[in-house]
Amino acid sequence: MDLLIASIGFGLITASIVALGAVGFTLQFGITNIFNLAYGEVMGASAFVAYQVYENTNNVLALWVVGAVFGALLSFTLNRVVIGPLIRKGTSPFGLVIVTLALGLILENLVLAIGGAQYFTLVVPPGDSFVIGPMIFTLSQLSIICAAVLVMLALHVVLTQTQLGRAMRATATNATLARTCGINVNHVKDIVWTLSGLLCGLAGVALVINIETFQASTAQVFVVVVIAGAILGGIGQPYGAMLGAGIIGLVTEVSAAYIGSGYKDVAAFVILVLVLLIRPQGIRGAIAAGRGLAS
Amino acid sequence: MEFYIATTLVFLAVDIMACLALNLQFGVSGILNFGFILFQAVGAYTVGVLTLGPDTGNGGFQHYVAGIHLPFVVALLIAGLIGALLAVPVGWIGVRRLRNDLQAVVLLVISIIGTTVAVNQEGLVNGSVGLSLIPHPFSDFIHLSTVNYDLFYAALALAFCGATYFFFYRMQRAPLWRTLRAIRDNEVAAEALGRDVAQLRMIAMVVGGAVAAISGGVLVGYIGIWAPSTWLYPETIVYLGAIIIGGAGTNRGAALGALLLPVIFIQGTQFLPEIGRPGLIDALDWVATGLLIIAFVWLWPRGILPEKPKRFPRLSTPGGLPIDELAGPTYGGSPDRPRVDVLMPGNGGRPVATPASDEWINRERVAQALLSVHDLHCEFGGVRAVDGVSCDVRAGWITGLIGPNGAGKSTLIKAICGELKPLSGTVVFDGRNITNWAPHRVARLGVIRTFQISSEFSRLSVLENLLVGAVEIGGESLVGSLFGRRAWGSAEAAAVERARQLLAEFRMAEMESAIGAELSGGQRRLVEIMRALMSEPRFLVMDEPLAGVHKTMIGTIIGHLQRLRDAGLTILMVEHELATVDELCDSVVVMAQGAVIATGTMAEVRREQRVLDAYLIG
Repeated sequence: MDLLIASIGFGLITASIVALGAVGFTLQFGITNIFNLAYGEVMGASAFVAYQVYENTNNVLALWVVGAVFGALLSFTLNRVVIGPLIRKGTSPFGLVIVTLALGLILENLVLAIGGAQYFTLVVPPGDSFVIGPMIFTLSQLSIICAAVLVMLALHVVLTQTQLGRAMRATATNATLARTCGINVNHVKDIVWTLSGLLCGLAGVALVINIETFQASTAQVFVVVVIAGAILGGIGQPYGAMLGAGIIGLVTEVSAAYIGSGYKDVAAFVILVLVLLIRPQGIRGAIAAGRGLAS
Repeated sequence: MEFYIATTLVFLAVDIMACLALNLQFGVSGILNFGFILFQAVGAYTVGVLTLGPDTGNGGFQHYVAGIHLPFVVALLIAGLIGALLAVPVGWIGVRRLRNDLQAVVLLVISIIGTTVAVNQEGLVNGSVGLSLIPHPFSDFIHLSTVNYDLFYAALALAFCGATYFFFYRMQRAPLWRTLRAIRDNEVAAEALGRDVAQLRMIAMVVGGAVAAISGGVLVGYIGIWAPSTWLYPETIVYLGAIIIGGAGTNRGAALGALLLPVIFIQGTQFLPEIGRPGLIDALDWVATGLLIIAFVWLWPRGILPEKPKRFPRLSTPGGLPIDELAGPTYGGSPDRPRVDVLMPGNGGRPVATPASDEWINRERVAQALLSVHDLHCEFGGVRAVDGVSCDVRAGWITGLIGPNGAGKSTLIKAICGELKPLSGTVVFDGRNITNWAPHRVARLGVIRTFQISSEFSRLSVLENLLVGAVEIGGESLVGSLFGRRAWGSAEAAAVERARQLLAEFRMAEMESAIGAELSGGQRRLVEIMRALMSEPRFLVMDEPLAGVHKTMIGTIIGHLQRLRDAGLTILMVEHELATVDELCDSVVVMAQGAVIATGTMAEVRREQRVLDAYLIG
């Protein structure tokens, strides 16, 4: 029982990290219709840059901010310099997937070239411990959960209460129609790439705070867990991604506790494959189809 | 020095084999197999554990299954078999109708799961450390110095590579290759021409999987070690990149790419002097590989040796027979069905603008409905697009399907042709209940459709497009394609002749070698119509065949359709131009808001108030 409770506690933390990443992934996929296989490497690169800054400043806030800003800038740049021009050139979705894969390869190896192949250790002081119900969290673990919750709330406000959020939802549903309604679709896409990069950077920081030891390719496997969360929630569904992330986080940690940590991610992978085979629209697809947040 | 040459040659041979295999899946069949490396790995592991002795040997420092000291060639064959068998479940998951990118992710995840299992099941293939001391093939009875053995093995690997190339060369010449390319370009259209897309793609998965596994076995026989770190997913990117650079879709492109990217660009840098930190050159090499792939997708997406459509020799002078002479045997219907023009000489049995009673007599003489739809309900895009439709299409008539936008016409067509599963109701064709049949089965009955949006196979030539329409050339199975021309040559030549006659009729003879993507909108329509006619349909279902066609061609198409009808072909067509419907259709079905609101001749439905309302209110 203690094992279960402990693994649920870990599950909440993992779910928070996955949620940050999955919401960013799903927004970007839903609105730009590009399956970005470089997402994991953007996450890894952001975490690496943030780690470098943290090593020199020892400032936890700087760690978060640098990760987010770097992720946002990198993502924006990838779209502006590579993806956007290729789309305008008429490159097939087939070609674009390969391009994002190649971008991931480039980013990962740039980190390798600069940082080397060794493991990096990032130690954020865990801070005080808090007892919440049957579970105990450190301050740094709580900060991850809080960051995720705050970001989700902020995103909710942006999506539902602002002109930009409406433009994003309209573009996700039907980009052509949105354009004819006077929405600057390219502008919206720029913002979405930036926003998704920001969330991706935050997820990268949260990931390395949580696991402490990482290397250039760490995020590359983790991103598959993130994608599993996004797809389980229904592609293009931010709220679905939050829910999907919660399920994935709990399932991976609980299965790690009972089956063995080597198979931790396999549970997420199996869910990903099953969802795509049985219900590609995800758990929230049916609800959302009528509500217009993509389909 | 000899060692470097031998090593490079072995890698070249292995990489060419792998690229040929992946090209069949990715370049030819359009399967984005991001899990490709798994198959190579499985082959290498299989050969490893089968040729090794029991794992208690050498002090038992590694643990693995089997260990039965099989001869290399036997182990290699088993590896190929296991690669092929593994391709069946992976293919079943991966080639289902998913968006390309999602398909790629599923296949990528499967290969990551494979890595996780190899690492964590330590007794299987010695976990993350991997296998080592895998015996060198034939070293038991061929006693050579190390250098000579390396050269011997390089020759052996090249022999395997040559055999593989010959195998794929045979495939590339056969109709199967063309059909797979057609599926790559337009899955739905290929299915509507009677192709079992899942089964054909499975051939590509299985052949590719077997060859990939054999390539892994050949590699492991030389390097003697195999571990999870040898087959990380960037290796798949390298092979994909090689194919893109060399030219996707052709064997020579794949082979050239294998030489350029994995061998020269990646293996080649191993010989550079070490500068900077260990691993720096490797990392920069991967960066350069990524940039190279992007540069090719950007600037030369078709690669150095682009796929070219196959050309066919001319057997006779161009021009050919007028279509009427073809039409008799082709569209005359089955022998048990009387030719309509025998019954009603002169006008093909359709009703004429004579008093109503005569019309009824004529209709009865033309006999039963070829297609009968009863109480059909379908959902499309979350909307009940077809809501209780019942209608009949009579044999030997052109029936128009008209109605305002959003009436459910295209959805009805999709449901008839099996593209969309109805919620309830029945579709009966020629006495057979075809409700819920897969589209390719419906097409095999002779129900051939054309599409509302142009559905040419964009990287096939016009002539090749038409040949995909000819279903029974043969040579679309693996065995048939390897058999060579004896199996399908004469049937294909006949189909080429027929295609050229159609092209001459539609005044597109000189466009024979043009690529689908280069055609104008109207030409694409014509290609689609000719392609449908190539399949010798019994029932032609056309979704706005005249949209976007140049005015001068419309007359030609209408003339053709009338002659085909007079020769016994039954046609159902969606058409918005009512003047055309007037001229062409013997009867019309009017739909609005998912229901049939009127049927009869154009003159009859014109008088119906509901039809007028539907068109005016829309």
